[in-house]
This record gives sequence, C-alpha cells and structure tokens, in this order.
Amino acid sequence: MSDSEEHHFESKADAGASKTYPQQAGTIRKNGYIVIKNRPCKVVEVSTSKTGKHGHAKCHFVGIDIFTGKKLEDIVPSSHNCDVPHVNRTDYQLIDISEDGFVSLLTENGNTKDDLRLPTDDSLLTQIKDGFGDGKDLVVTVMSAMGEEQICALKDIGPK
Amino acid sequence: MQGFPQSGVPGPGPASDGLAQLQATMHAIEVACTSIQMHINPAAAEATILSLCQSPQPYQACQFILGNSKVPNARFQAAAAIRDAAIREWGFLTADDKRSLISFCLCFFMQHASSPEGYVLAKVSSVAAQLMKRGWLDFTAVEKEAFFNQVHQAILGIHGVDVQFIGVNFLESLVSEFSPSTSSAMGLPREFHEQCRRSLEIDNLKMFYCWARDAALCVANRIIESNSLVPEVKVCNAALRLMLQILNWDFRYNNNSTKTSINVFSAGARHDTDSLKRFECTLVQPGPAWRDILISSGHIGWLLSLYAALRHKFSCEGYWLDCPIAVSARKLIVQFCSLTGTIFLSDNGQMHKHHLLQLLSGILDWIDPPDVVSKLIECGKSESEMLDGCRALLSIANVTTPFVFDQLLKSIRPFGTVTLLSSLMCEVVKVLTITNTEEETWSSVARDILLDTWTALLVPLDSTGGNAMLPPEGISAAGNLFTLIVESELKAAASSALTDDVDSDYLHASVSAMDERLSSYALIARAAIDVTIPLLMKLFSERFSRLNQGRGVIDPTETLEEVYSLLLIAGHVLADEGEGETPIVPYAIQTYFADNIEADKHPVIALSSSIIGFAEQSLDPELRASVFSPRLMEAVVWFLARWSLTYLMHPKEIREGNCDSGHGQAHQLQSLQSREVLLSFFGEHNQGKLVLDIVVRVSITTLMSYPGEKDLQVLTCYRLLHALVQQKHICVHLFPLDSWCNLAHAFANEKSLFLLNTAHQRSLAQTLVRSASGLINSEASNLYVRDLTSHMATYLRELSSMNDLKIAAQQPDIILLVSCMLERLRGAASASEPRTQNAIYELGFSVMNPVLVLLEVYKHESAVVYLLLKFVVAWVNGQIAYLEAHETALVVDFCMRLLQLYSSHNIGKISLSLSSSLLSEAKTEKYKDLRALLQLLSSLCSKDLVDFSSDSIETQGTNISQVVCFGLHIVTPLISLDLLKYPKLCHDYFSLLSHLLEVYPETVAQLNGEAFTHVLGTLDFGLHYQDTEVVDMCLRALKALASYHYTETVCGKTGLGLHIAGLKDPGGNLQEGILSRFLRSLLQLLLFEDYSPDLVSSAADALLPLILCEQGLYQRLGNELIERQANLTLRSRLENALQSLTSANQLSSTLDRINYQRFRKNLNNFLIEVRGFLRTK
Repeated sequence: MSDSEEHHFESKADAGASKTYPQQAGTIRKNGYIVIKNRPCKVVEVSTSKTGKHGHAKCHFVGIDIFTGKKLEDIVPSSHNCDVPHVNRTDYQLIDISEDGFVSLLTENGNTKDDLRLPTDDSLLTQIKDGFGDGKDLVVTVMSAMGEEQICALKDIGPK
Repeated sequence: MQGFPQSGVPGPGPASDGLAQLQATMHAIEVACTSIQMHINPAAAEATILSLCQSPQPYQACQFILGNSKVPNARFQAAAAIRDAAIREWGFLTADDKRSLISFCLCFFMQHASSPEGYVLAKVSSVAAQLMKRGWLDFTAVEKEAFFNQVHQAILGIHGVDVQFIGVNFLESLVSEFSPSTSSAMGLPREFHEQCRRSLEIDNLKMFYCWARDAALCVANRIIESNSLVPEVKVCNAALRLMLQILNWDFRYNNNSTKTSINVFSAGARHDTDSLKRFECTLVQPGPAWRDILISSGHIGWLLSLYAALRHKFSCEGYWLDCPIAVSARKLIVQFCSLTGTIFLSDNGQMHKHHLLQLLSGILDWIDPPDVVSKLIECGKSESEMLDGCRALLSIANVTTPFVFDQLLKSIRPFGTVTLLSSLMCEVVKVLTITNTEEETWSSVARDILLDTWTALLVPLDSTGGNAMLPPEGISAAGNLFTLIVESELKAAASSALTDDVDSDYLHASVSAMDERLSSYALIARAAIDVTIPLLMKLFSERFSRLNQGRGVIDPTETLEEVYSLLLIAGHVLADEGEGETPIVPYAIQTYFADNIEADKHPVIALSSSIIGFAEQSLDPELRASVFSPRLMEAVVWFLARWSLTYLMHPKEIREGNCDSGHGQAHQLQSLQSREVLLSFFGEHNQGKLVLDIVVRVSITTLMSYPGEKDLQVLTCYRLLHALVQQKHICVHLFPLDSWCNLAHAFANEKSLFLLNTAHQRSLAQTLVRSASGLINSEASNLYVRDLTSHMATYLRELSSMNDLKIAAQQPDIILLVSCMLERLRGAASASEPRTQNAIYELGFSVMNPVLVLLEVYKHESAVVYLLLKFVVAWVNGQIAYLEAHETALVVDFCMRLLQLYSSHNIGKISLSLSSSLLSEAKTEKYKDLRALLQLLSSLCSKDLVDFSSDSIETQGTNISQVVCFGLHIVTPLISLDLLKYPKLCHDYFSLLSHLLEVYPETVAQLNGEAFTHVLGTLDFGLHYQDTEVVDMCLRALKALASYHYTETVCGKTGLGLHIAGLKDPGGNLQEGILSRFLRSLLQLLLFEDYSPDLVSSAADALLPLILCEQGLYQRLGNELIERQANLTLRSRLENALQSLTSANQLSSTLDRINYQRFRKNLNNFLIEVRGFLRTK
C-alpha cells in the first residue's frame, strides 16, 4: 500500500462524529449524495458550464431531499468542495407496529429499537402496514443521515 | 358502439326500406362528425365512425353518403371507410365490385371538381389511387387503360380547368402511392410493392410525365398572355409539381442491362456514388428512354422561358417571387440540374454540358452579379430565388468534375463558374459578418448550401486522397475566399468572446460541434494550400505575440477566443478525422510544396511547430494562469490529438506504401521529397520524441492542474491519450519517456488524480494498460500492468478485511475511494489484451473475495453495486475466452455466487420514498444492474463458442449451458414485466433467452416447473412487444422450443416432458401445457392482431413445429374458427384456406429447410386470403 492510500484512511479517525464530508464538486456524480441548503440530497442531475467563455467550470446540481422528496438545486465551482452527507442504512427485522405510530425493530445484537416513527405519508404507511398485516417476515431498511432517520425499503424474507 | 346493417349485399333494387336505412346511416355519421368537431362525446362519435369502417361491405352506404351528405366531414369519413373496407375485403370482392369502386371514386372527384371542399376531393382521389394500386397486378391492361383514358381526358382540359386540375392531382396521389417511401403498407408483402413500382416505372411514368407537360403547355400561353391571376395557374402549378415528383422518382429500371450503367458516361460527369452519398444528394437518372421528352424536345428551354416570363409578372397582382407557381417552376429547374446518367448520349459529355449550360444561363439572373443580388435581398427582396440558384449550383457541382464545372460559365462570361461561386460566397460571408447573429438568416442558409457546393467539388475522389484539380483561377478564388472566411470567423470569435449567454455556450459546448462547417473550410483551404498555410501561420504569430506583450496589461479574452477559433481551423486544414482508421496526411499537403525541401522552410512544419511551441508554454504555471484558460486548453488538446494521429512518428510502411497513386510521374517525384521532409521531421529520428514528450506533459498538466474542468479532461482522456496509445508506432516511444512513467506513477499515487471524474479514471486506467503494447514482450507487459494496478487490488483487499468495515464503508470518502478503485479496475479489465491477459486475470482473481464482501456491505448503495457488477462484466468478458478449465471453473463459481448474492439482496425488496423521481431512479438503477447481469451471462455463454484454452472445460465438469441456465434461473425472477419495458434490457434479455433456447433447448427443459413457466411467461410478453426485433427473437425461441420437442418425441424421447402436460394451478384448475398455450396465442396474434409483415416468415417457422406438436389442439382451434363464421361463402373460403395451409405445396411433417420454406409460403397465402374478413367485426 502506498503512502497516499494511508493518507485516505486517516479520515477514519473522526468517522463516528462527522455527519458530512467535504468532497470536490467535480467528483460528485449523478446518483451520489450532496448537502444542499443543509439537507441531505440524492443527486439526480449534474451539468457543467463555465463562468464566462474563458472562465472556470462550475457544476449545477439538482438534488432530491432523501427524506422529504423535495427538489433542491445548487451551483458550485467545480474545484470547490461540497458537503457530502454520511448516509447510513441499517437492516432490522420488524417486530411490531404500535398503535401510537412507532415501530419496534430487532437489532443485529438482539436488542430492540423502539424510537422510530412510522412515516406519516399514507401510501408509505399502507405499504408497510399491509406487508406486516399479511403475517410475512419483514426486514426494513432504515436510512439515517444528518440526525434524521426513516424507513426507506422493506423486504419480505418469509419462507416461500 | 352502433352497428350498421349489411348494406353491401346486392338486393333487388333499392327498396324504400333500404333507402331509409341508408339515410339513417348517413344521419348517424353526420351527427358523429359534427359532434367530434364540437367536442361533444368524441369517444362515442369515433366509435360510430369506426364501426362504419369495420362493418362488412359498407360501400353502398358510403357511396350514398358521398353522393348525398351536406356535411363535408361525413363525406370525408365515408371515403376513408371505403378505403379501409375495400383494402380489407379486397380478396373476396368480385372483379366487378373492384372496378366499380374505383370508377365511382374517379367519377366522383371529376364530377365534383369545382367543389370548394378540396380535402374531400383529395381524400377520394387518394382512395382511388390506393385501390388502383391494390388491384394493380390483377387488372388487365385493358382495364387499366379504361381508367387512365378517363384521367387523360380530364388532364387534356376537355372538361374545364377544375377537372384538369383534379386529374393532375390524382396522378400525383397515384405516383406517391407507388413510390416506396410514401406508399401505404396495405398489409401486403414488400414484393407486391416492388412489383407495382417496377410496373409503373416501366409502363406508365413517362406517359404521366407527358400528360403533365401537355397540361402545362396548353395553359402556359393563357398565363403568359394575361396580366392578372387566371385559374389556369392552378393547373400549371399542379402539373409542374407532378413533373417534379416524377423526376424525384428513384429510377431503377432505366437500363437494358446493369453493366452499361457503370461506364457509359465518364468524361463529363462522375459516377462515384460514395462521395455523392455523403451529401445525401439525389441524382436523377431516368435512363435513355427519357431522352426524347426531357432533353431533345426543347422542354427545358420552354421551362426556363416560362419562369423568365413569370419573373416579369412579379409586379402583377397575384404573382410574386414566392407564389406557388414560381416556387414549383424553380424547384423543377433545380431538379433538372441533377439529371445525369445514361439519359445523355455517351458523346464525351457534350450533351450533358450543353444541358447544364442551358440551365446555368437561365439561373444566372438569380445569382449574378452577387453584390447586387445580396443588396436587393438586404433591402427586402425575397431570398428564395437566390437560394434556389445556390441549390442549382450545388446540384451541378454534384454531377460534374471541378474542371467541367468551372468551364461551363466560361463560354458566356469572361470568368469561370468557380470564380462566380467564390464571389457569391464572399458576398454571403460579408453579409454574415455584418449581421452576426445566432439566428438562422438567409445568409447562413446560403453559406451552408455554398459550402456543400465547395465540398462537392473538392472532396477527394478516391481513397488514396487524390484531390480534384481546380484550374489556376479557381485556386486563387478559393484562396481569397478562405482569407475572407477566416477573417469573418475571427471577427465572430472576438465579438462573442465576452458574451456569456448560455445558449451560445450550449451551441459551442463541444469542440467538434462546428465540425462539418470546418471540414468544408478545410477543403477550400487545401485547394489553395500554398496561400492558406502561410496565412494561418501569420495570423497565429500575430496573436501569440499579442498575448505575450499584453500579458497582465490587456484583457486577453478576445485574443484567446480568436486563437481558439484558429486552432480549430488549423486542425481541420492540417489533418483529417481518423474515424477509427489511421488518417493519412492530406493529399494536398503531401504534394503541393514541391519547392520547399528544407525542413525549416516547409510551411506545414513551421505552422505545426509554432502551435506545439505555444502548447508547450502551458507547462509554465505562471503563463498557464494568465493565458491558458480551460477553454483554450480544450482547443490545444483537441488540436494535439488530431495532429498527432496524422503526423507524429509517422510509420515507415505507410510512408512507402503510399507512393503508388497515379498522379503524374514528374509531379510525384518532386513532391516525394517535400513529403519525406515533412514526415521525417516529426519522426523518431528527428523531433518526434521531443514533441511526444511535450504532448504527454501537456496531458499530465490538464489532468492535474485544471481541477474540476471536466470538458477539458474528457478531451485529454478520450481524444489525446487514446490517440497516443491507439497506435503501436507511437506506443513504442512512450516508455522511454520520463513523462510517461511519471503519468503512470502519478496515476497510482497522486491524490489529484483520484479527484478526476471516476469515468475519466477508468479511461486513464484503460489507456495506461493499453500502452503495454509498446513494451518489448509479454513478460515486461505483465510486469508493468501488475505494478500499475497493484494499488487497486491492495486497497480493496485491505478494506474488505477491516474489522469495522460495516461502519467505515458507509463514509462518503471511503465510498468515493472505492468507486475510484472499481472504475480503475474496470478500465484496466476492459483493456485486456492477449499479452497482458495473465496480469489482468490475476488482478481480478485477487479481488474476487473482496468483490463479494463489498457487494454485501454496499447492498444498499446502488451506485457502488453497479460499479462492482460492471467491473466483473468487463473482467469476465475480457478473460473468458483465454481461461483454462480450472480457471473457468473458479470464475464460473464466482459469478454464480455473485448472482445469488445480488438476488438475495434484491428479490422482494420494495423501495419506499416520498419522491416519485427517486423511485423511478431506483427502478432505473435496477434495470442497469440487471442489464449488467445479463451481459455477464452472455459473456459466460460465449465460452462455448470462442475458446482459446488448451483443454476442454468439460474436464473440470463445467457445463456452460447449465451454468448460464442456472444464472438465468436466478436472474429472471428479478426481471419483472415492468422492467422489461426498458428497451435495452428487453433486447438483451430476449437475445440471451433465444440464444439459450436455440442452442441448448435440452438444458432449459431441465429447469423446474415454476422457473420454466416464468421464463416462458416472459416469452409471451415478448411476442406482443412493439419492437419487431424482440418479437422476432421470441419467435425464434419458440421455434427452437417446439422443434426440439417435436424431434425428440418423434424419436420416442420425452422432449420437454412434464412441461408439455397440463399442470394444475393452485386453484385446482387444469392449465394447458406450454406449447398449447403458445399455439393458441400465436394464432391469435397472426389472425387478429397488428404486426409488421416482416414477421410472417419467423412466425411461420415457429407455427409449423407448434402445429406438429399439438395437432389435436390445432384441429380444434381451426374448427372453432370455422364455426364462428356465420357467412357461408366466407366459411367455405376459410375451410379451404385452412386446408391448404397444412397441405399445399406438398407440405410434409418433417422439420427440414424445404418444408419450412413451403410452410412460409403457405402461411403468407393463408393470411392474405383470410385475415381481411377475420378481422372484420
């Protein structure tokens, strides 16, 4: 392993604490993540243009807030840094859906996690409740970034 | 939906009862048409009209409506219904019925010729035309003549101007119906249309032309004599249009034998279809039969004088420059300029030259003198006449050599045509420079046409690059023109330098956007190369010194933009686009510098050196910051790439092999020396290595010192570096250079190169690996690749063995680095060549486990998953053919684990998001993943076809077909019908499926029931897909499946075994076997649904084995069809047709080639016979 790679590993030290990372705008691609107006977004469109004909490149990002689904846009010079959110996804087995809008989840080490609210959007709610109601074994994927979390996917692992 | 009573059944005279019914029908249609117009319940109204079209034999009702309705739309719909019904029922109409339908239409539009609703007449006349074509091959000559007599009478003008006009119009519809590009399909095979076209071209087309000409002749005098708009103008215009349409016909049968068409005509005109195709110019080649009416009869003289007369009338009321008749006349004149081929005598081109001269002298008034014409246009005169004049020049240029082109004008003017062309273009460029807008103006249109004309004249005629010779005057005209063009381009560049509007940025976003125009400029420049290269040299040095002197004092932007333009122009003049091949030095540059033997005086060397010297200055950080803007660097890099491909390290063999082109011996000897000087100057023993070093250092600079400049880096990675490694003779010289080693070292270690766009890193990896072809042997290459790539594998291995991988892996910086490494791996893998195969195999082998670990860790990070899959795809694809048996076993095992892992993560997974666009993104990502997996399976599949290994893979017990089938079994459940709507995925999936079924039906048969059913369920989907190619693949798959089963069972084996027998579904109902279901759905498709006629043959190939497998069911289905048919005549037709489908042409029950062919024929006949009435509702 060469020196430069170790250099890259160094950032691991503050990994747990940091919610975002700086990354050069030019390296952010479609389908990556970016923070726009302090919201974690998924990039759905990147285009580049120049400031004046003989100026430097700038990137135009269109992002979708990964929690609210709202569209956000930003323009950043290519060589400048952008914040990239630390998006984490964890799988839990769904144990229960409580009356008051919380779910009960089984973590990997056998504990339960009971502090996650169900989504308020009706169609998402129905998808989760229906799946659970059918008596299938469900695994939910919880996405967390910048201090927020939300269920972002579910998967039926019940026996065929 | 409202039905209509059978009104076509011949009865004993129209009883009052029948009349009431007709009136009711008419009323219903009128109401429907009105309500559509008023937007009242349009769906119901459309249904009513549709039911008229679909009812059996609606002719009487339609004719009644046409004759009696006061609502024009109703008449229009009635005509449309006649057309639909007659085309559908043509097969069983009596000969009398057919004739009377056509006669009815002909009489109708002639009787109503003066009606104000032109669109109804046009519809009826097009219906008549279509019906006539439908019956064209059945009608006897006498029958056709009867129809045409009627039309001819009309066109002669006996029944007045309106009838004359409508008669000409009818011929127009008829000709367009017979011309393949505008004909209606009518559900008939291509041969039918081809026969019709042939017949019309040989028997009728010339006659029609004469009729049109006669019609125009007989009204022309009236028009010329009268001082105001007369009704005859309409007829004349229609006749001119018809003549134009006929001259636009794609003449095929113009020669007695094909041989004569090659060489009859060589001196005056050229026959190189290659260069003509490039301009998409249509040549008019009607053949010798047309000589009398087009050439010898004074027809063109008449046409020119007609237009000249019209020109005098433009001041009169009702006439102006763009009035329809003037436009048609001009178009026809321009079309005549494209006339060529055997219509002219083989008299050394005299007749052709005379013809062109006649046209040119008529056209001259439109364009000459150029300055007067352009002033008039600027003052408000319409530009169309001038543009048509330019088009005529273009047409003439396309059918003549430059010499003949130039000579044409000399007989009537003191200067040649090239001089006229040049001054015309100069005028246009001047106007363009003054107006200077991005909008399309007349001058930009004229410029494009005239540039095409230059290109037509100057483009090299043969592959050796021999250039068409211009006469000396022409050369100096070209030189002047180029000077003016460059001036104008520079002015445009300077004035646009400071504008920053997004639109123009968008227009010029890519350096190659203006390519087409620039390559025409280059042709002009090369025609006068001894003037233009020094000119460019002068312009460059002026600007270089301006940049140097004004540094820090004056804003350089305008000069930068000028240099940018000049670089593009110089690049085009000096070198050609390679387009995948090695471009050679342009012929003009090779030959025209006979006197400049010394290298330091050779203009091309001087120009190239000065530009390279300028590029080298970008290496200096200070100069870079003040002068070399990203945009300027784009042009520099683009120029270096283009130039290097042609000039750098020019290999000896090309230099020598190139000397034999037959262009005058003396000239050749002279030029050889100057060419030798030019090529060896940038060769390996002279400046070559120095220049190569500069080029490499410039690329390193653009990659490392222009952070985030994607456009620039795209050009560097994909154009410049690719150009260097693409050619072995350059590659060889890369490794001794320190700069190349620096690049390779920086690639593995330098942080700034990890900040490049990941796709560019992939390309860079590919380039670096590919350059190994410049090393002496395979050992050295493998060693080099191992060194180059070790950092990627090491990183992935170390990462995947980390303890807290799960947490660390989700950090954005780690994700970025992993993405970089995977893209680099993919790039390296895709550059695999036999000599580096070993190293690449080891590379991939060493990351097999990390790949699986990362696939697990990043299962929710779709972007990374995709990169992982694409790397594996590229690696397997590059390696599979070379792998030995034990390696294949390992790779196959790895791929299967990968597939299973991917499947276990994704099957049954539902994404939840509030954003519909994120959900659709997720779907797109899934589609891309699946497509990659299918590509992986296809690569594995290819092992059975291409295998370079020393032993058979069977020795390790690997059976590729089983492997791929198992893979398909894993992947298919992930491919929902919804995802198959992505065309590319659909295409890949079905090509893999049909390949599997065709080559290994026995393996597919071993799939378990559920999987088999699912696989075949998708086939059913594919059969109804809109893309013909997909349907075709499904049909092939079906054929393979059914014929496998049939041949197996004939031998007494089980074939598809259990899959054939009916299964019980969960509800306990017996389901049909697979083949029965397909027989049913294929018959349903063939008889009742819409599909392309091209599919009938493949459908026949699938249907035959299906019928043989399921004879019982086929009998049953046939009987059902027959029983459903209430009409007794039709029922017996159907019975006969079904009978002959399986028995005609000595069809037997074997599956050999001949039998398939017979069945195709049978099915075609069967469908033509019965589809018409089966589809009637």
